[in-house]
Amino acid sequence: MKLLTHNFLSSHVKGVGPRGFPLRLQASEVRIMPVEFNPDFVARMIPKVEWAALVEAANTLSLGEVPTEPIQGYEQNEDFLRTMHHILLEVEVMEGTLQCPESGRVFPITRGIPNMLLSDEQTEA
Amino acid sequence: MHIPSCQPHKVEYVSGKVFFTTCSDLNMLKKLKSAERLFLLIKKQFPFNVSSVNKGKICNEMQRLINDDPESWLNTISIWKNLLELDAKKKRLSQRDANLLKRKMGENDTVITKKLKAEQMQKTQENREYQLEKQAEEETLAQGNFLTSREKLQLEECQNEAAEAAGTPSQNDLTFRVSCRCSGAVAKTFSAQEVGRIIGIALMKQFGWKADLRDPDVEIFIHLNDIYSVVGIPVFRAPLASRAYIRTAGLRSTVAWAMASVAEIKAGALVLDPMCGLGTILLEAAKEWPDAHYVGADVSDAQLRGARDNLKAAGLEDKIALLQVSVVELPLPSESVDVIISDIPFGKKFKLGKDIKSILREMERVLHAGGTVVLLLSEAHCRSLTDGEESSIPSNSEGRRTDEPGAEKCLIPEGETGTSETVPPSLEASNQECLPKIPPFGSLMPVECYKVSLGKTDAFIYKYKKSHSSGL
Repeated sequence: MKLLTHNFLSSHVKGVGPRGFPLRLQASEVRIMPVEFNPDFVARMIPKVEWAALVEAANTLSLGEVPTEPIQGYEQNEDFLRTMHHILLEVEVMEGTLQCPESGRVFPITRGIPNMLLSDEQTEA
Repeated sequence: MHIPSCQPHKVEYVSGKVFFTTCSDLNMLKKLKSAERLFLLIKKQFPFNVSSVNKGKICNEMQRLINDDPESWLNTISIWKNLLELDAKKKRLSQRDANLLKRKMGENDTVITKKLKAEQMQKTQENREYQLEKQAEEETLAQGNFLTSREKLQLEECQNEAAEAAGTPSQNDLTFRVSCRCSGAVAKTFSAQEVGRIIGIALMKQFGWKADLRDPDVEIFIHLNDIYSVVGIPVFRAPLASRAYIRTAGLRSTVAWAMASVAEIKAGALVLDPMCGLGTILLEAAKEWPDAHYVGADVSDAQLRGARDNLKAAGLEDKIALLQVSVVELPLPSESVDVIISDIPFGKKFKLGKDIKSILREMERVLHAGGTVVLLLSEAHCRSLTDGEESSIPSNSEGRRTDEPGAEKCLIPEGETGTSETVPPSLEASNQECLPKIPPFGSLMPVECYKVSLGKTDAFIYKYKKSHSSGL
């Protein structure tokens, strides 16, 4: 699970509402996977990012210096875009957990895929 | 996808086939996404008149397909060989790291290509092809339609091998196989085998070609029905619909691509498939529109495993995120998604604990105002959405349907997109009744509907737009 994806997720536990964001991230296995840099794409994602959530998640993963907000003129600032590209797209949480901050419910991340099923309804193969 | 055309031409499409001319090379043609197969046209003419039950007469007419104009056959075959040689040359040259051949087929050649079961609509005058779904039954190489009499003839294998060793076979040493599909009135008088035999024998007599069932140089494809008689050569060995980048296909890639193409995926969009299965739709979308963020969700471990494999095989793991979540309980904030594309599972195989309405409700919640939802729905889904009011879906064949299972599709765009100018009026009129009239769902306004065939069943591609109304 990439941090860009984590940034979009919120808790859907019943009755939780807006306090279900962001999901607290814990990781036991993280991989850095190089991804082709597409400055246009990164620039488009920037306005959608919830910064507090991103910073919190990045800090949990000890990613070092993380911008706390977009720089003025970020669209043309390649350094900034490259940093954001790395944080948002190149860090993969392979194993870990996501926790709903309100209800405390914990969801596992296995092999990069978060399992956020609320009830026991997986169709097994 | 824009196919360059060298001269203004008319793109003609008739129930399942699109006829067009182009001077593109094979690489461009390979990128056609919404067609099952691609053929080089040899002949297209009016259907055979079988009202007189004189088989002999009709037999003669079939032979005349070849004998009246052997030139066009030879021309098409040489164009086809040129295409392949050009392609092979390119591959050799590019391997040696030299410049690619820039020469196209030549502006003066009219290469009339036929797409089996494909539709195209011209949105703008600049020939920007907007491809909608094409569907028909799975086109294998029509194994069942072989000429049985071929087996009695000598298979000139040695000759084949010698010819291959020498390079491309000359016109006289060509081996062929005829595949035939018949439907409508013709099919009542002739079986596919019979037609294949007639054509095959005529070809042998006219050109001296030999038949080879197993590995012919050329495959001749004939399709006879009530609307046309068409003869062509398949351009590629494998159907276009079988994608190099999809390891295990779930939904047909042509339908998946078509759904993605009507979804209006813009750069930077967040695109969700909340019942992604093996990820076919997301793969097709991410391949064609790479500048968006794709998220796939499914409840099943097995499906997600398959999806992950597919993503890896296609090299698209970085573009598509996977989640194990339920479509009716999406862990996404309201109004956070730009596009939702989904194939709503139907059939008893899928134990859908939730009904289609609760699915739509959750989709509506997470969608941005102005966002798009594109769904593939079964007739049953449509019925439950119309709540049993005036079921406008005929339970079985009507009008243009023939005996072919799933070969037809009505392609009638409704709504404001205004693409209906290019639809011949007769098509529109006779097919309006096939389309289910689904009402708006909350703030989701229906925009367009397309009927597609999935082989054994039919389905509908339904597009909604979320309106900017208040209160949501």
